[in-house]
Amino acid sequence: MATTLDDERLDAVFAALADRTRRGIVARLSEGEATVSELAAPFAMSVQAVSQHIGVLERCGLVSRGRHRQTRPCRLEPEVLATAESWIEESRRTWAQRMDRLEVHLARLQDGDQR
Amino acid sequence: MSADELVYRRVFRAPRELVWRCLTEPEELAQFWGPRGMTTPRDGIVVELSVGGRFETLMVGDSGSHLMVATFTEVVPPVRLAWVEPATGVHTTGTLTDLGDGSTEVVIHQRHVPEPMRSPEARAGFLTSLDELEAHLARLTRGERP
Repeated sequence: MATTLDDERLDAVFAALADRTRRGIVARLSEGEATVSELAAPFAMSVQAVSQHIGVLERCGLVSRGRHRQTRPCRLEPEVLATAESWIEESRRTWAQRMDRLEVHLARLQDGDQR
Repeated sequence: MSADELVYRRVFRAPRELVWRCLTEPEELAQFWGPRGMTTPRDGIVVELSVGGRFETLMVGDSGSHLMVATFTEVVPPVRLAWVEPATGVHTTGTLTDLGDGSTEVVIHQRHVPEPMRSPEARAGFLTSLDELEAHLARLTRGERP
Protein backbone atom coordinates (compact mmCIF):
# COMPACT_ATOMS: atom_id res chain seq x y z
CA MET A 1 0.00 0.00 0.00
CA ALA A 2 1.45 3.32 -1.04
CA THR A 3 1.67 5.80 1.82
CA THR A 4 1.95 8.89 -0.32
CA LEU A 5 -0.88 9.88 -2.58
CA ASP A 6 -0.79 12.35 -5.41
CA ASP A 7 -3.16 15.30 -5.42
CA GLU A 8 -5.61 13.57 -7.73
CA ARG A 9 -5.92 10.62 -5.37
CA LEU A 10 -6.26 12.95 -2.40
CA ASP A 11 -9.06 14.80 -4.24
CA ALA A 12 -10.87 11.48 -4.72
CA VAL A 13 -10.49 10.64 -1.02
CA PHE A 14 -11.85 14.03 0.08
CA ALA A 15 -14.67 13.86 -2.46
CA ALA A 16 -15.58 10.42 -1.10
CA LEU A 17 -15.55 11.74 2.47
CA ALA A 18 -17.70 14.75 1.56
CA ASP A 19 -20.79 12.48 1.73
CA ARG A 20 -22.52 11.74 5.05
CA THR A 21 -23.46 8.15 4.18
CA ARG A 22 -19.92 7.33 3.13
CA ARG A 23 -18.53 8.87 6.33
CA GLY A 24 -20.96 6.62 8.23
CA ILE A 25 -19.62 3.59 6.34
CA VAL A 26 -16.02 4.61 7.07
CA ALA A 27 -16.88 5.09 10.77
CA ARG A 28 -18.48 1.63 10.91
CA LEU A 29 -15.48 0.02 9.17
CA SER A 30 -13.07 1.67 11.60
CA GLU A 31 -14.50 -0.78 14.16
CA GLY A 32 -13.74 -3.79 11.96
CA GLU A 33 -14.60 -5.39 8.62
CA ALA A 34 -18.21 -5.85 7.58
CA THR A 35 -20.23 -7.23 4.69
CA VAL A 36 -22.24 -4.99 2.38
CA SER A 37 -25.53 -6.08 3.96
CA GLU A 38 -24.18 -5.39 7.46
CA LEU A 39 -23.09 -1.95 6.30
CA ALA A 40 -26.48 -1.28 4.69
CA ALA A 41 -28.48 -2.19 7.82
CA PRO A 42 -28.34 1.18 9.66
CA PHE A 43 -29.19 3.21 6.53
CA ALA A 44 -32.68 3.88 5.21
CA MET A 45 -31.64 3.00 1.68
CA SER A 46 -31.38 -0.07 -0.49
CA VAL A 47 -28.42 -2.45 -0.35
CA GLN A 48 -27.83 -1.48 -3.98
CA ALA A 49 -27.53 2.23 -3.11
CA VAL A 50 -25.14 1.44 -0.26
CA SER A 51 -23.16 -0.75 -2.68
CA GLN A 52 -22.68 2.26 -4.92
CA HIS A 53 -21.32 4.29 -2.01
CA ILE A 54 -18.95 1.44 -1.19
CA GLY A 55 -17.85 1.46 -4.83
CA VAL A 56 -16.85 5.13 -4.50
CA LEU A 57 -14.87 4.32 -1.35
CA GLU A 58 -13.19 1.38 -3.11
CA ARG A 59 -12.19 3.41 -6.17
CA CYS A 60 -10.37 6.02 -4.08
CA GLY A 61 -8.64 3.28 -2.10
CA LEU A 62 -10.23 3.97 1.30
CA VAL A 63 -11.96 0.58 1.33
CA SER A 64 -10.92 -2.82 -0.01
CA ARG A 65 -12.96 -6.01 -0.39
CA GLY A 66 -11.96 -9.54 0.57
CA ARG A 67 -11.30 -11.86 -2.39
CA HIS A 68 -11.85 -15.25 -0.85
CA ARG A 69 -15.06 -15.39 1.09
CA GLN A 70 -18.31 -15.32 -0.82
CA THR A 71 -19.59 -12.31 1.15
CA ARG A 72 -16.41 -10.34 0.23
CA PRO A 73 -16.29 -8.30 3.46
CA CYS A 74 -15.26 -4.62 3.25
CA ARG A 75 -12.28 -3.36 5.14
CA LEU A 76 -10.88 0.10 5.77
CA GLU A 77 -7.41 0.98 4.42
CA PRO A 78 -6.07 3.06 7.31
CA GLU A 79 -3.01 4.37 5.42
CA VAL A 80 -5.23 6.11 2.88
CA LEU A 81 -7.35 7.69 5.60
CA ALA A 82 -4.18 8.73 7.44
CA THR A 83 -2.95 10.59 4.36
CA ALA A 84 -6.14 12.64 4.27
CA GLU A 85 -5.79 13.32 7.98
CA SER A 86 -2.18 14.36 7.62
CA TRP A 87 -3.15 16.92 4.98
CA ILE A 88 -5.58 18.48 7.46
CA GLU A 89 -3.01 18.32 10.27
CA GLU A 90 -0.35 19.97 8.11
CA SER A 91 -2.75 22.80 7.16
CA ARG A 92 -3.66 23.28 10.81
CA ARG A 93 0.01 23.52 11.79
CA THR A 94 0.76 26.01 9.00
CA TRP A 95 -2.10 28.26 10.12
CA ALA A 96 -1.15 27.97 13.81
CA GLN A 97 2.40 29.12 13.05
CA ARG A 98 1.18 31.82 10.68
CA MET A 99 -1.19 33.17 13.35
CA ASP A 100 1.60 33.12 15.95
CA ARG A 101 3.68 35.29 13.65
CA LEU A 102 0.74 37.58 12.83
CA GLU A 103 0.19 38.09 16.56
CA VAL A 104 3.80 39.22 16.98
CA HIS A 105 3.57 41.44 13.91
CA LEU A 106 0.33 43.10 15.10
CA ALA A 107 1.91 43.78 18.48
CA ARG A 108 4.90 45.37 16.75
CA LEU A 109 2.65 47.52 14.53
CA GLN A 110 0.69 48.83 17.51
CA ASP A 111 3.66 49.25 19.84
CA GLY A 112 4.39 52.97 19.47
CA ASP A 113 2.31 52.98 16.31
CA GLN A 114 5.39 53.63 14.23
CA ARG A 115 3.57 53.36 10.92
CA MET B 1 -18.25 20.11 9.83
CA SER B 2 -17.29 17.27 7.51
CA ALA B 3 -14.16 15.14 7.66
CA ASP B 4 -12.41 17.14 4.94
CA GLU B 5 -12.67 20.53 6.61
CA LEU B 6 -10.37 22.52 8.83
CA VAL B 7 -11.47 25.35 11.09
CA TYR B 8 -8.88 27.48 12.81
CA ARG B 9 -9.78 30.25 15.24
CA ARG B 10 -7.64 32.97 16.86
CA VAL B 11 -8.32 36.26 18.68
CA PHE B 12 -5.89 39.14 18.12
CA ARG B 13 -5.54 42.21 20.31
CA ALA B 14 -5.83 44.56 17.36
CA PRO B 15 -8.61 46.47 15.56
CA ARG B 16 -10.26 44.69 12.64
CA GLU B 17 -9.07 47.23 10.04
CA LEU B 18 -5.47 46.58 11.01
CA VAL B 19 -5.87 42.79 10.88
CA TRP B 20 -7.51 43.14 7.45
CA ARG B 21 -4.59 45.24 6.27
CA CYS B 22 -2.15 42.59 7.46
CA LEU B 23 -4.00 39.88 5.57
CA THR B 24 -4.28 41.82 2.32
CA GLU B 25 -1.22 44.06 1.90
CA PRO B 26 1.94 42.44 0.53
CA GLU B 27 4.21 44.60 2.74
CA GLU B 28 2.45 43.20 5.81
CA LEU B 29 2.02 39.62 4.52
CA ALA B 30 5.78 39.48 3.96
CA GLN B 31 6.22 39.86 7.74
CA PHE B 32 4.32 36.77 8.85
CA TRP B 33 2.81 34.65 6.05
CA GLY B 34 5.44 31.93 5.94
CA PRO B 35 5.05 29.36 8.69
CA ARG B 36 7.99 28.71 11.02
CA GLY B 37 11.27 28.34 9.16
CA MET B 38 9.98 29.98 6.00
CA THR B 39 10.07 33.53 4.72
CA THR B 40 7.81 35.23 2.21
CA PRO B 41 9.80 37.87 0.33
CA ARG B 42 7.79 40.94 -0.71
CA ASP B 43 8.75 40.21 -4.35
CA GLY B 44 7.03 36.83 -4.18
CA ILE B 45 3.64 38.16 -3.11
CA VAL B 46 0.83 39.13 -5.50
CA VAL B 47 -2.48 40.42 -4.15
CA GLU B 48 -5.14 41.50 -6.66
CA LEU B 49 -7.83 42.30 -4.15
CA SER B 50 -11.05 41.56 -6.03
CA VAL B 51 -13.09 38.49 -6.94
CA GLY B 52 -11.21 36.61 -9.67
CA GLY B 53 -7.97 38.41 -8.78
CA ARG B 54 -4.75 36.57 -8.10
CA PHE B 55 -3.38 35.76 -4.65
CA GLU B 56 0.11 34.31 -4.75
CA THR B 57 2.71 33.82 -2.10
CA LEU B 58 6.16 32.37 -2.55
CA MET B 59 7.34 30.77 0.70
CA VAL B 60 11.05 30.17 0.90
CA GLY B 61 12.65 27.78 3.39
CA ASP B 62 15.88 25.88 3.95
CA SER B 63 14.43 22.72 2.48
CA GLY B 64 12.99 24.37 -0.61
CA SER B 65 10.28 26.79 -1.59
CA HIS B 66 6.54 26.55 -2.01
CA LEU B 67 4.48 28.77 -4.30
CA MET B 68 0.84 29.14 -3.35
CA VAL B 69 -1.21 30.16 -6.40
CA ALA B 70 -4.78 31.08 -5.65
CA THR B 71 -7.71 33.09 -6.99
CA PHE B 72 -9.90 35.25 -4.77
CA THR B 73 -13.49 34.05 -4.62
CA GLU B 74 -14.78 36.57 -2.06
CA VAL B 75 -13.49 39.99 -0.98
CA VAL B 76 -15.64 41.86 1.57
CA PRO B 77 -13.45 44.36 3.46
CA PRO B 78 -12.84 44.19 6.37
CA VAL B 79 -14.98 41.14 7.04
CA ARG B 80 -14.37 38.25 4.69
CA LEU B 81 -11.68 37.04 2.34
CA ALA B 82 -11.78 33.74 0.44
CA TRP B 83 -9.60 32.13 -2.17
CA VAL B 84 -9.26 28.82 -3.99
CA GLU B 85 -6.03 27.09 -5.01
CA PRO B 86 -6.92 25.48 -8.35
CA ALA B 87 -3.94 23.11 -8.28
CA THR B 88 -5.00 21.39 -5.09
CA GLY B 89 -8.68 22.33 -4.83
CA VAL B 90 -8.16 23.86 -1.41
CA HIS B 91 -10.71 26.59 -0.63
CA THR B 92 -9.87 28.92 2.25
CA THR B 93 -12.16 31.49 3.87
CA GLY B 94 -11.01 33.99 6.46
CA THR B 95 -13.70 35.73 8.51
CA LEU B 96 -12.85 38.72 10.72
CA THR B 97 -15.15 39.62 13.61
CA ASP B 98 -14.82 42.86 15.59
CA LEU B 99 -15.25 41.76 19.21
CA GLY B 100 -15.97 45.34 20.31
CA ASP B 101 -13.14 45.59 22.85
CA GLY B 102 -10.42 46.46 20.37
CA SER B 103 -9.75 42.81 19.56
CA THR B 104 -10.59 40.83 16.44
CA GLU B 105 -11.47 37.20 16.00
CA VAL B 106 -10.13 35.53 12.87
CA VAL B 107 -11.67 32.24 11.76
CA ILE B 108 -9.96 30.33 8.99
CA HIS B 109 -12.17 27.74 7.33
CA GLN B 110 -10.47 25.47 4.86
CA ARG B 111 -11.97 22.71 2.78
CA HIS B 112 -10.79 20.53 -0.01
CA VAL B 113 -13.03 21.19 -2.99
CA PRO B 114 -13.75 18.07 -5.05
CA GLU B 115 -12.68 18.34 -8.68
CA PRO B 116 -16.13 18.85 -10.31
CA MET B 117 -16.90 21.79 -8.03
CA ARG B 118 -13.95 23.89 -9.07
CA SER B 119 -14.97 26.83 -11.18
CA PRO B 120 -13.67 27.42 -14.71
CA GLU B 121 -12.87 30.99 -13.57
CA ALA B 122 -10.52 29.63 -10.93
CA ARG B 123 -8.84 27.42 -13.49
CA ALA B 124 -8.47 30.26 -16.00
CA GLY B 125 -7.02 32.46 -13.27
CA PHE B 126 -4.56 29.74 -12.40
CA LEU B 127 -3.34 29.31 -15.97
CA THR B 128 -2.92 33.08 -16.35
CA SER B 129 -0.95 33.08 -13.11
CA LEU B 130 1.38 30.41 -14.43
CA ASP B 131 1.99 32.40 -17.62
CA GLU B 132 2.75 35.49 -15.62
CA LEU B 133 4.93 33.62 -13.18
CA GLU B 134 6.94 32.33 -16.11
CA ALA B 135 7.33 35.87 -17.48
CA HIS B 136 8.20 37.13 -14.00
CA LEU B 137 10.88 34.46 -13.55
CA ALA B 138 12.26 35.24 -16.99
CA ARG B 139 12.56 38.92 -16.06
CA LEU B 140 14.19 38.03 -12.76
CA THR B 141 16.75 35.76 -14.38
CA ARG B 142 17.61 38.56 -16.82
CA GLY B 143 18.36 40.69 -13.78
CA GLU B 144 15.50 43.13 -14.34
CA ARG B 145 13.41 44.41 -11.50
CA PRO B 146 9.70 43.69 -11.99
